[in-house]
Amino acid sequence: MSSTEQGTSSAAPAEPTTAPESAAAPEVPESFYYVHGKDKVVHKVSAGALQHSALIHGMISNLGYTEEQAKANPFPFENIDGDILQMVVDWCNQHKGKPTPPEDTNLPKQKEKLFDLVLAVNYLEIKELLTYCCKQVAMMVKGKSPEEIREIWMIPTDAEDEAAEKEAKKRAGKEAAGETAAAAGDAK
Amino acid sequence: MPTRLLSLPFNDLEYVFDSMDVSDLIALSLCSKRTEKLAKSTNRKIDRHIVYLDEDQIGFDICEREFQQKTENIYFNVFDTWAELEKGDGIEVRIEKEFTSSDWIAHFLSIFNESMIPVLEINDISLSYLNTVKQFIPKCRELRIGENCSNELTRMAFLKLAPISDEVDIANNSFENDISQFLSPNLRSLTLFDRETPFKLTSVDLLAVNTTDLSVYKANITEKELNRFLKLWMKGNHTFYRPESIRLTLEDEEIELNRQEVFEGVPYQTVGDKLRLKRGDGKELIFYVEENDIVFEFA
Repeated sequence: MSSTEQGTSSAAPAEPTTAPESAAAPEVPESFYYVHGKDKVVHKVSAGALQHSALIHGMISNLGYTEEQAKANPFPFENIDGDILQMVVDWCNQHKGKPTPPEDTNLPKQKEKLFDLVLAVNYLEIKELLTYCCKQVAMMVKGKSPEEIREIWMIPTDAEDEAAEKEAKKRAGKEAAGETAAAAGDAK
Repeated sequence: MPTRLLSLPFNDLEYVFDSMDVSDLIALSLCSKRTEKLAKSTNRKIDRHIVYLDEDQIGFDICEREFQQKTENIYFNVFDTWAELEKGDGIEVRIEKEFTSSDWIAHFLSIFNESMIPVLEINDISLSYLNTVKQFIPKCRELRIGENCSNELTRMAFLKLAPISDEVDIANNSFENDISQFLSPNLRSLTLFDRETPFKLTSVDLLAVNTTDLSVYKANITEKELNRFLKLWMKGNHTFYRPESIRLTLEDEEIELNRQEVFEGVPYQTVGDKLRLKRGDGKELIFYVEENDIVFEFA
């Protein structure tokens, strides 16, 4: 398992420059946590940056990990691709402790990456980033015709939807029949 | 496997659709039955939704937030075999869709969750086309008959479409001595507007009014006829009279109403600037003059 030190530089607390020594509050060392995605690459992220994610913030609060425990037990997000998790971590670091701007132009332009990012951000419950991503998805079809929208967003036709529905019904029927047969076998 | 938009979680889709311009949402709704349902589920409310009927096209004039600086004005024109989505910023999208007029109307009502067409405007169409309109217009809140409509078209459009409308605005005077029959349908509001040719009214016409609010710009009525109307209304104890208000903008702005002649033989009380008439059955009529308008309010 490899490890990166993502966000540690931007995570350093700002040094007070003018406050008198006696009035200065004792500096609380920032705590760090570790996350990894499908690629098992571990990212070190400050608690401040992770506050953007309601899911991780909730996990941290509930677990009460020490630094060592956190390092030994990185949060696994096996459903998120490594590069996508990297984007999320970068975004959280960049916006740590800052008000989020009305627009974010650094989001991926490629459709697949953007959709994956939406799924990841939805899972991690990062509301601001989700809003940016959804706006970006909406922008993909600005001024486009229905045919172009269908192509860009891969929207199935009515015929394809009907076929998929039939297929799903057939599969559900087979599964139900299988379960009934299994139950009958158990009864014997 | 590539991710399809519709496989995203529903709340993400909602965010995406909420971020879309109305014109893009309309285009999306035309992709499939499923996207039509999704567009409908966004519950987008629009301030202006006017359907224009011309001989060779149906036009939809749509604006989500009217009277705001940064607003999107959408014009959607339906022709025989194709349609065109035009945005105020010059973007035009051609749409090929095998829809009938009826399908288009139903589609727009559906995606904006409207039970009837908010405003239907009739322009210069043929009488034969007018005969087909009721086949694809189920109901409208407000019917507007444009100033360029011929006398015959205006009259026919009113007679055919007023029964499916709550309010009617007519922007030309196509009536001669038979205006009464156009005042008698049971409407919530009727507005007659013509700057050039005033609407000639008599006491009999006013008594025939069966619409809740009538507004006539400009009206030609004499003091004698107004007096006769007031007397007949006073005598009409226990007879049902639907109007709640009648506003007549007089023809000549310089003319001064001779109140003495209007109220000759009519008992009334003065309440501030207004005059109050009370019938034996307790019904009241408030009369007042506001610039060039004479106003009757019934209670």
